[in-house]
Amino acid sequence: MLLAVRATESLMLAVLGLAGLLIAGIAIALIVGLFQARSLLRKEFTAYFISPVAYVMLVVFLAVLGCRFYLALDQLTQGGSQGIEFPMQYLFSILPRGIAGSKAWLMELFSSQAFWVVYLLIPPLLTMRLFAEERNSGTLEVLMTAPLKDWQVVLSKYLACFAFYVILWLPTIVYLPVLLDFKQVEWQPAWTTWSILFVGGLGAVVLAGLLTLLPLGTAGRLSAGLILAAGAACASIGGWFHYHTDSAHVVEVIAGIDPMPVLSTYLGLALAGAMLLAQGMLVSSLLGSQIVAALVSVLLNLAIIVGGLLPLVIDTGGTVSKILYSFCVPLHISQEFGRGQVDTRHVILYGSVALFCLFLTVRSLESRRWR
Amino acid sequence: MNTLAETYFRGYFNSIRVCSYRPVPCRVRLLPAVLIPLRRKHLGCWQTVRGAPGDSARSELQAEVAVIHVSQLTKYYGDYAAIRDVSFEVPRGKIVGFLGPNGAGKTTTLRILAGYLTATSGQATIDGLDVFWQPVEVRRRIGYMPENCPLYPEMRVAEYLRFRAGIKGLHGRRCRQRLDYVLNRCWLSEVRRQLVGTLSKGYRQRVGLADALLADPPVLILDEPTAGLDPSQIRASRALIRELGKEHTILVSTHILPEVEMTCDSVIIIHRGRVVASSSLAELTTRAGAETVIVVEAEGSIATESIRQLAGVGRLESEPIPNGTRLRVTTDGPRELTPRLCDLAVQQGWKLRELRPQRQSLEEMFVRIVEDEIPATNSARRA
Repeated sequence: MLLAVRATESLMLAVLGLAGLLIAGIAIALIVGLFQARSLLRKEFTAYFISPVAYVMLVVFLAVLGCRFYLALDQLTQGGSQGIEFPMQYLFSILPRGIAGSKAWLMELFSSQAFWVVYLLIPPLLTMRLFAEERNSGTLEVLMTAPLKDWQVVLSKYLACFAFYVILWLPTIVYLPVLLDFKQVEWQPAWTTWSILFVGGLGAVVLAGLLTLLPLGTAGRLSAGLILAAGAACASIGGWFHYHTDSAHVVEVIAGIDPMPVLSTYLGLALAGAMLLAQGMLVSSLLGSQIVAALVSVLLNLAIIVGGLLPLVIDTGGTVSKILYSFCVPLHISQEFGRGQVDTRHVILYGSVALFCLFLTVRSLESRRWR
Repeated sequence: MNTLAETYFRGYFNSIRVCSYRPVPCRVRLLPAVLIPLRRKHLGCWQTVRGAPGDSARSELQAEVAVIHVSQLTKYYGDYAAIRDVSFEVPRGKIVGFLGPNGAGKTTTLRILAGYLTATSGQATIDGLDVFWQPVEVRRRIGYMPENCPLYPEMRVAEYLRFRAGIKGLHGRRCRQRLDYVLNRCWLSEVRRQLVGTLSKGYRQRVGLADALLADPPVLILDEPTAGLDPSQIRASRALIRELGKEHTILVSTHILPEVEMTCDSVIIIHRGRVVASSSLAELTTRAGAETVIVVEAEGSIATESIRQLAGVGRLESEPIPNGTRLRVTTDGPRELTPRLCDLAVQQGWKLRELRPQRQSLEEMFVRIVEDEIPATNSARRA
C-alpha cells in the first residue's frame, strides 16, 4: 500500500516536473521573442499616452472609484451594525446595499452598478484602436512585412495594453493605508537569514531599476533584467519564510483590517482585466472599424455584467442564476476576491479565456495573409 | 500511387497539400493532416506541390544568378484571378521597373514578395530563400515601401525611424549610425523633429524610402515611390533611386513611363494579371516588328523618287512644314538607312535641317502592348 502510494506520488511529481519544464520553456521562448520586439512594445505603450482617450479614461475611472471610496470610508467609520469587515468587498460590490444616513443621496447618484458599467466600458475603449486603426491607416501592411512573427506583434500590443491597465489601477494604492486602517508601522532590528534575504532582494530590485535608467547597451539591460528577476525571487522567498517562520518581523504593520483580501482583490482585477483586454483585442483584430469593434466588445462585456444586475429579480438558487454567476466578473470580485477567497474556478476562467482570445488573435492576424 | 498513410505522413512533415478539387486551389497549412476532411472524390487530386525547405541547393544556385526569382505565381481572390502564372527574374544589382495599368496585379505581386499576402500557387524566392517557407528571413533582406506610404501621424520622424529600426533588429550604436546615414541620404535632416502628420507628401515618401533603407537590405521593393510628387521631387527621387541602384537590387513598380526610361535597366510589363513583356529597355523598343522610322527635315522640297530607289526603304510619308518638308522614312529591314540617306542628301544637295531616328517611346510601346496590338509573349524571362 505504501509502495503504491509512493509510486503514484513520484509519478505525479515527474509529470508535474515535466509540465513545469514545458511551461518554463514556453515562457522563456515568449520572453526572448518579446525582447526582440521590445521596440514595438515601447511604441505601443507610449502611444497610449499620446492620445487623449487614455487621459479622459483615467480621469473618469478615478473619479467614479473615488466616489466609491468615499462611500466605503463613510461606512467604515460608522461603528456598530453598519461597520464593514471587508472594505474591498464594499468598494466593488454590485448588489445595492441599503444605506441609511446622510450619504444616501450620493448612493443614489453612484449606485453600485455605475462603477461596473464604467469598468466594463474601459477595456473596449483601450483595445479598439489596437488593430482596427492600423488596418484603416494601412500601417498593418508595414507592420506585417517587418521581420517579426505574428505572435510577437500580438503579444507586444497586448502587454502594452495590459501595462496601461495596471497604470489605471495604480493610483488606488493610495486608498490602502486609509482603507486598511494602518495604525502603526514599527521597524525592528530582527535580522535572520530570511529577513536579510528579503531586504537584500528588495535592494537588488531597486538597484536593477536604477540600472535600467542608465544608458547602457543591450548587455547592461539584460544584466539589469537578471538582477531584477533574481532580486524579486529572493525577496519573495525570503519574505514568505520570514513572515511565516520568524517570530519577530523586520517591519511590523498593525492594520485594523486584514490586508490579505487586498492582494486577492488586485489579483482578481488583474486577471479579469487580462480576460477583457484579450477579448477586446480579438474583436478589434476581426472587425474593420474602431467604433464597431468597441461596440461589439461592449456588447460582449454586457454579458458579464448581467449576472450582477439580475439577482434582485430572478431566483438566485435556480440554474439560470448559477450559470450567470459563473461568468459574472463583478460578483466574483465583490463576493469572493474581495473577501480574500481566490477561487480557482474563476482564475481558470479568466486565464483560459485570455489565452484563448490571444491564440485566436494570432490566428486571425495570420489569416490576413491568406486572403 | 502512394498509400494514404504515406501521403499523410509526408504531407504533414514535408510539403503543402493542394487540393485541386475546388475551383479555387487552396492550401492548408499547419493543420495536422488528420484534421483535413478527406473524401474519396478528393483522393485522386491531392498532390504535393513542392518539397520542404530542404531543396535549397537549387535555390542557392538561383541566388547566384538572380536575386528575385518568381515562377508561376498565381493569386485568386475568390474566383477573381488577380495574377496568373507570373514568372520573372530580377538579377543582382539591377533596377527593374514593374509596369502595368491600374488593376494589373503589380501591388499584389509585390505584396506576395514582401510576405503580406500568400500566393494561391507558385513559388517566389528572394536571395535563395523561399518567401513562403522562410518569411522572417526573407523580410530581413527586403526593404519594402508600400503604396501611399502609410505612417503613424503622431510620431516624429526620427522617433518613427528609430521604432522601425528596432523592429528590424537594429539597436544601440548601429541603430544610431544607420539612422544618421538614412536621414542624410534621404534629405530628412531638417525635419527630424517634425511630426509625421504635418509633413507634405514628398517628405512622407522620403520617410517611407528611409524606412525601407534602414536595415541596409540587399533588395528594395518600392511600390509607386513617386506617386503624387511634384516634378522637382520626382527628379530628386529618380536620382536617389539611380544612386541606390549601384548598391542594392531594386524592383520599382510604377505607371510613370518616363521614369522607367530614365532609371531602370529593364522592365516587366504586367497586364490583367499576366506578364506580357519582360526584357531590357533596348530590346523592348525594338520589339515592334523591328521597324525604325527616320525623320528627315529639309528646307525646300525633296524629290522622293531617289529615296525610294534605296534598298531597305518601306513606307515613305512626306508632309510640308513651314519652310520645308518633313519626310518619314520607314525601314522594313535591319539595314541601317541613315548613312545612305546622308550620302543621298549630299549628292542631291538637300538643305538638311534634321536627320534623326525616331525611337518609339516606351509610352507608345506600352499602350500598344496593353491594348493588344502586339501579341503578348513570355519568351524573354530573364529581364
